[in-house]
Amino acid sequence: MKVRLTYSPGVVEKPVLAEVVLKTRLPINILEAKVNAQKGELVVSIPVTGKKLEDVLRMFEKAGVKVQKFTRILHIDYDTCTSCGACISPCPTKALRFGLDWTLEFDEEKCVACRTCVAACPVKAITVL
Amino acid sequence: MSGNSETDEIRSVEEINEKIKRGDAVVLTAEEMIKLVESSGVEVAAKEVDVVTSGTFGAMCSSGVFLNFGHADPPIKMTKCWLNDVPLYKGLAAVDGYLGATALSETRGFEYGGGHVIEDLVSGKEVELRAESYGTDCYPRRHIETVITIDDLNQAILVNPRNCYQTYDAATNSTDRVIYTYMGTLLPNFGNVTFSGAGQLNPLCKDWNYETLGIGTRIFLGGGTGYIIGEGTQHSPQAGFGTLMVRGDLKQMQSRYLRGASFHRYGVTLYVGVGIPIPIINRRVASTAALKDEDITVTIKDYGVPRRPDLRPVVGKVTYADLRSGKVTIGDKDVPSSSLSSYKMAREISEVLKKWILEGRFFLTKPVEPLPRQRTFKPLKVKRREPKVRDVMRKEVITAQPSDDVKKVARKLVEKGIDHLPVVDENQRLVGIVTSWDLARALANEKAKLSEIMTRKVVTALENESIDVVARRMARHNISGVPVVDEARCVKGIITTDDISKKLVGGRSTI
Repeated sequence: MKVRLTYSPGVVEKPVLAEVVLKTRLPINILEAKVNAQKGELVVSIPVTGKKLEDVLRMFEKAGVKVQKFTRILHIDYDTCTSCGACISPCPTKALRFGLDWTLEFDEEKCVACRTCVAACPVKAITVL
Repeated sequence: MSGNSETDEIRSVEEINEKIKRGDAVVLTAEEMIKLVESSGVEVAAKEVDVVTSGTFGAMCSSGVFLNFGHADPPIKMTKCWLNDVPLYKGLAAVDGYLGATALSETRGFEYGGGHVIEDLVSGKEVELRAESYGTDCYPRRHIETVITIDDLNQAILVNPRNCYQTYDAATNSTDRVIYTYMGTLLPNFGNVTFSGAGQLNPLCKDWNYETLGIGTRIFLGGGTGYIIGEGTQHSPQAGFGTLMVRGDLKQMQSRYLRGASFHRYGVTLYVGVGIPIPIINRRVASTAALKDEDITVTIKDYGVPRRPDLRPVVGKVTYADLRSGKVTIGDKDVPSSSLSSYKMAREISEVLKKWILEGRFFLTKPVEPLPRQRTFKPLKVKRREPKVRDVMRKEVITAQPSDDVKKVARKLVEKGIDHLPVVDENQRLVGIVTSWDLARALANEKAKLSEIMTRKVVTALENESIDVVARRMARHNISGVPVVDEARCVKGIITTDDISKKLVGGRSTI
């Protein structure tokens, strides 16, 4: 499960992620990180599901980190999209590709919500939720 | 087969139109023609097939529409005119104007432009019209503001000076930063390749020798019918860069095939759908109509080098099949590739045109004049001498060495009244740079040696570079000066934003 972790100024200095990793011994993968002195925003992939996942998320929340699950990250408006492909090769995680009939397809699993495709789309058919 | 030569006529356009009328013309899309030639050979295909339909759907910047608004009462001789804040060309009669696809909205910038207004008009949306004038005896009105739709216009005629490029260079980026171009988003260090063109579906690839297309050829344009009215601008057929000038009635068109578009940090344009029927008049046309993506080659150019298109370095040669596979090789690296034009829409257009012909709604025309097969595309010579870095840079450069003492260097800077100090080794080769700001901070932190504080990754300029290129580089890095170096990175001078603004008044050299 992909999760966005938002650190407020009070929390940003604490090694919350490291503590969760040490406690759970889960190989939590950092997909994207924007951290400065004021706040931090991480996109991580947590390799468990169900109750185990909820336990991990609660650990973050208890430490004061805001947790947001990526259930639907990206929306492609197919009435607007022309399947031109301008978003495909700029995508750093190869989450966009052509299907068999040359229609643009999106692989939710690979997306890290970096918004590169949003800027690359000539007809503004992509929004990140 | 009757003829011996591959250019012997098999059928005429008149004969094809008779068959369309009778409802027994054999029409294939370009993809179907490729399959038939693969399975049965070009002889059989040439004998059986009357028409091959092509299609393309891509960004075509040289597009626009002539509009006639009709007269208001009292009337106005519009000298300036805007639709949804996008300016029109008004060097025409009182209420005629030309709206170009790349004109930017004066209020919304890159988000909205001429291409979007064209799409909005075709969609039947209301568009705000605003115009100004100086007032004359016959046209006393000086200002008008109203709302129009396409139905209010007397004429709305799409006239595109350059559409349908036969092939187009693919693009990549050698620099260490993302660049935003008319070829889309290009990632650093050859991170991706973008390309444009329908390849095996492209109309001009299907009649590679210009045997059937010409002035007067009836075509699918933006979902309506249109005509080829001549060669397009920059038509360069012998290099595989043929183009078309086309016109069609915007009122018949559909917004599905005319789409306003924005290229991030570049500008706006119009995606245009064009489909052209290729009459299979002889065996040679049958074989070019069956050209495949594998047969059509383009070069990959480095858009990281901001030079004239023909001077951008070539980094590879590939086919449309390579490009469309999603991966091409540059050097020894696999690089993701993707298109900017829609192959899906190009296919759809070739299908729609086929349907129109089969239903007897679209007849072929014989051109009144062929298109030129030879044309050179010349670059623009700059005849006025433009200043280079060499002309503006300061040649007496004060430098320092990495082992120099911070305090001593600070004193030097104050004495000479300079802000940038290149740091060089014993061979005068650049190894770093320090600014007055770096030195102030170093003194506060009690650092002793220059080598501890200097910036090692130095942004530089070359003596023969254009001032515009270097000014843009400084702005991008948010710096006010760069050392000028030669190929061996020996310091030849220094150039600062101050030097540029002092020596170049109003963009013209005073040297």
